[in-house]
Amino acid sequence: MSQTDTKTIPVWDIFIRVFHWTLVLGVSTAAVSGFLLRPTWISLHVWAGTSAAVLLLARLLWGIWGSKNARFAGFIKGPREVIKHLKELRAGTAARHLGHNPLGALMIVALLGTVFLLLLTGATALGGVFKTGPLGFLFSYDLGTTILRVHYVLAIILVLLVTLHILGAVFEGMRTKENLVKAMITGKKEARESDHDLPEVSSRPLWVTLVFGATLALLVWGGIWFSAKPPFGVPTGPMNPTYAEECSACHIAYAPSLLPAKNWGTLMSQLDNHFGEDASLDQKSVDEITTWLFANAADSVDTKPAHVFSRTNPTYPVAITETPFWKNTHRTIPDAVFTRAPIYDNGNCNACHKDAESGAFYPANISIPKETPQ
Amino acid sequence: MKFKLIIATTAVALVGAVVAANTQRDAILSGYAAQAGVSGFSADAGRQLFMSQNTGGKPATPSCSTCHTSDPRNVGHTRVGKVIQPMAVSRNPERFTDPAKVEKWFGRNCRSVLGRECTPTEKGNFITYMMSL
Repeated sequence: MSQTDTKTIPVWDIFIRVFHWTLVLGVSTAAVSGFLLRPTWISLHVWAGTSAAVLLLARLLWGIWGSKNARFAGFIKGPREVIKHLKELRAGTAARHLGHNPLGALMIVALLGTVFLLLLTGATALGGVFKTGPLGFLFSYDLGTTILRVHYVLAIILVLLVTLHILGAVFEGMRTKENLVKAMITGKKEARESDHDLPEVSSRPLWVTLVFGATLALLVWGGIWFSAKPPFGVPTGPMNPTYAEECSACHIAYAPSLLPAKNWGTLMSQLDNHFGEDASLDQKSVDEITTWLFANAADSVDTKPAHVFSRTNPTYPVAITETPFWKNTHRTIPDAVFTRAPIYDNGNCNACHKDAESGAFYPANISIPKETPQ
Repeated sequence: MKFKLIIATTAVALVGAVVAANTQRDAILSGYAAQAGVSGFSADAGRQLFMSQNTGGKPATPSCSTCHTSDPRNVGHTRVGKVIQPMAVSRNPERFTDPAKVEKWFGRNCRSVLGRECTPTEKGNFITYMMSL
């Protein structure tokens, strides 16, 4: 053992390294799309989260049956060990841990735990607020918005934890005079005499692959099955034929969930001056349409549009485009965009929201069309 | 043989539909002529009504051409971007064949554009103009 050239030993196996850097990619994509990009990027955000969920599942299994430095049972230490490590750090006597040191192990648990909670709250918020994904059948809008705030706080916590994790790696690298980023790429560290190492175990990659494949298949199947269930608090009945015939002769068939019943009543009693035009109808059709609108109005629907448009503008109680939410969410779009072909008017929701007539208004379905010659 | 039969049947059906539509349209026109007490209508007067700019109706719709464009053979669009099929009968043979629909839209659009009901003479002239294009 008295060789002059340094001997390197494998520390991080290929799984751990690939997991680490793909999780970096997934979390970065989720963070950028969640914090910085417009809501129309929600699909990218959801896919980044879904990828992180798959990675996390694999990491949990590798933490049980993986190599010695990957196993939770090996590197997670109790408070006594952590305090001992801290004291040795202060005294300058702490020896190097080839794998995670007791303090670093705490960080791994915190990072993985926070990512796990982000996935749970993300899927819950997606279900409650947008009535989509595997939990769309289960949760109310009110619960969804509350959980969305928790999701946001957790995301900030994760950013802080990642920052601390990087600072910790820089500190430990300087203390032990090694490049820890490089070690997470090559997987190798220089062997030293006083190193703390863990007892050898044999990893079970085939078994982990089998359990991972089975669990993933079950989760995907369950996800598809639950996603297909009718969304919570959203009527799925057909559109009234008289409403479709009469009202969509001039404009899109606005979803009845976009206004409260009271406001629909006001609108239906003023058809002779309907947004500056005469849209009079025979009384029988008016009664039939009003009854159907009342039964499917915002008051009885749990979608996000039904909730946000229920705060109407007292000056224009029948105009969705005059509600505070509409004005706020469309404030960055120049007026000229709304008047150009093929949009013509801000009441033509369908021109940009491909799912407007369903009343869903999912952000990923927004696409502002290019101007067309009139 | 079978193919020829299908072609012949389709042709007969098409001609039949057009004849039926023309019959229905003529009946609507005769109705307006009877109401107005006139024997015929003027396509030119219909054109003038279609193109006229008015101030009596709703400010957003001063003219028929606001939504139907200045050529009734064109596809138009409502103020909120919904496509309106051409008014000219040559481009849209279904036009002016359902009396209830004709009355509904004359009622609404005359009040929106002119601020009053149209007279039977105006309605007859309008339809005659749409048949002349």
